[in-house]
Amino acid sequence: MFFIGVRSVPVVMITGAFVGMTLAVQAYDQLAGMGLEEHLGVLINISVVKELGPVLAAVMLAGRIGGALTAELGTMNVTEQIDAVRSMGTDPIRYLVAPRLLASLLLTPVLTIFADLMGVVGGALVSVLQLGINSRAYWNHSAAAVALWDVSIGIAKAFFFGGAIAVMSCYKGFTCKEGAHGVGQACTEAFVDSFISILALDFALAVIFKNIYEIFWPLKSLVN
Amino acid sequence: MDQMTDDNGQENKNGRSEAIIETRNLTKKFGEKLVLDNISLSIEKGKTTTVIGPSGCGKTVLIKHFIVLMRPSEGDVYFRGRRVDNLGERELEHVRMHFGYLFQEGALFDSMTVAENIMFPIQQHHKIANSLEIDEIVKAKLAMVGLDGFQNYYPARLSGGQRKRVALARAIALNPEVILYDEPTTGLDPIRSDIINELILKLERELGVTSVVVTHDMKSAYKVADRIIMLHNGKVIADGDADHIRNHPHPIVQQFIHGQVSDDDLAVLRMTRSAATSQFLPRDFE
Repeated sequence: MFFIGVRSVPVVMITGAFVGMTLAVQAYDQLAGMGLEEHLGVLINISVVKELGPVLAAVMLAGRIGGALTAELGTMNVTEQIDAVRSMGTDPIRYLVAPRLLASLLLTPVLTIFADLMGVVGGALVSVLQLGINSRAYWNHSAAAVALWDVSIGIAKAFFFGGAIAVMSCYKGFTCKEGAHGVGQACTEAFVDSFISILALDFALAVIFKNIYEIFWPLKSLVN
Repeated sequence: MDQMTDDNGQENKNGRSEAIIETRNLTKKFGEKLVLDNISLSIEKGKTTTVIGPSGCGKTVLIKHFIVLMRPSEGDVYFRGRRVDNLGERELEHVRMHFGYLFQEGALFDSMTVAENIMFPIQQHHKIANSLEIDEIVKAKLAMVGLDGFQNYYPARLSGGQRKRVALARAIALNPEVILYDEPTTGLDPIRSDIINELILKLERELGVTSVVVTHDMKSAYKVADRIIMLHNGKVIADGDADHIRNHPHPIVQQFIHGQVSDDDLAVLRMTRSAATSQFLPRDFE
């Protein structure tokens, strides 16, 4: 799992960087039309840390880690290795699923931080170097708009996405049908189901976090 | 020891021997397909029972129920007089520690070396921290199956027969009370097959292990079995010692033990032969 985590860093960083860079290119014209191009960083960075960073990193991991988990457990299932674990009086959930779930829960937020970081860097590079936005203004507006809360939401989401990927992938591996076709089918289903649960969880968590924010927002203003 | 075997044999005939595994009205269906049909039998402690029968007759499914790797559709399974088929997985862990199971294809963990495979059950259940002690156990178990020196090989590098022998070494790693063998001699050369037979007998003789052997190999069945059970279409059609089976009047039993093809099967072959050979030959060859 450590290797899966470490080896996922480059692909997740590349994903993040391209997301940030693309957002910069796409959003510049709209904002420049209103004379708000210096606020481009706000749009890019909020989008990256709250939504696109966690979601796209999770989708990338669903393909990478999820596919590997399902293929590994599915092959173990069809070659009776999971039954062998059970026959020796060991719980396969504890021995095979628990460490994978734990790794996925812990690694997905960490990898999301890498995606976020590269998204922010990629967006800034395109905005400042290619689009010629004033660097100081770009960062000032961004820093003023992106709060710790926004980053935390993204990382909290990633924690749930990691759980969904591991649960879906392990379940599909354990219930895999016989033969090479069965394992292939289980991998496909695991990715599709993980993808859909990531999007569904993203929506549900967005609603939940928004409500939490609205409850605590008045208290925050009282403190300030 | 011989005296004890004789005594046990006598007890068996009088129906007083202690049953270690028992099934009552065991029925298993996969969807609509009936695989085991109302099977009630008991496996005597310290004996070797062989289950024979044609492929797909439910032999493997039967022994998987003994260790509750499968749950019955109807009926009960008992181990040492305690019902086990309704236990949760956590409780079954304690029951399964008394069993060794040799899977048909070995089911070795392919991400682990031979030594790690054999260590697995030991490390899971006995908290032996001394690696030298574990190495000694692994060496001894591998020596029993004639594979000492293969500790650092991965299963992918072994032949089918070697994999099966490593799987057997793993099955006996915890010195279980009951060993379930799913076709232990299939895929082995005749000499290795006989070594496995001798090993089954040795475990029974020296450690009092109860063995249930699923096999097609009649030579092996006759050699190791105190009792032979024949399954056909999910039912027990013959049950007794080797002589009883040899002289059994049921035609399917005779056909199976002599490896004879039935007239019905021959008729099918004759019908398909003409279609299979003539139809697809290139014209040049006619």
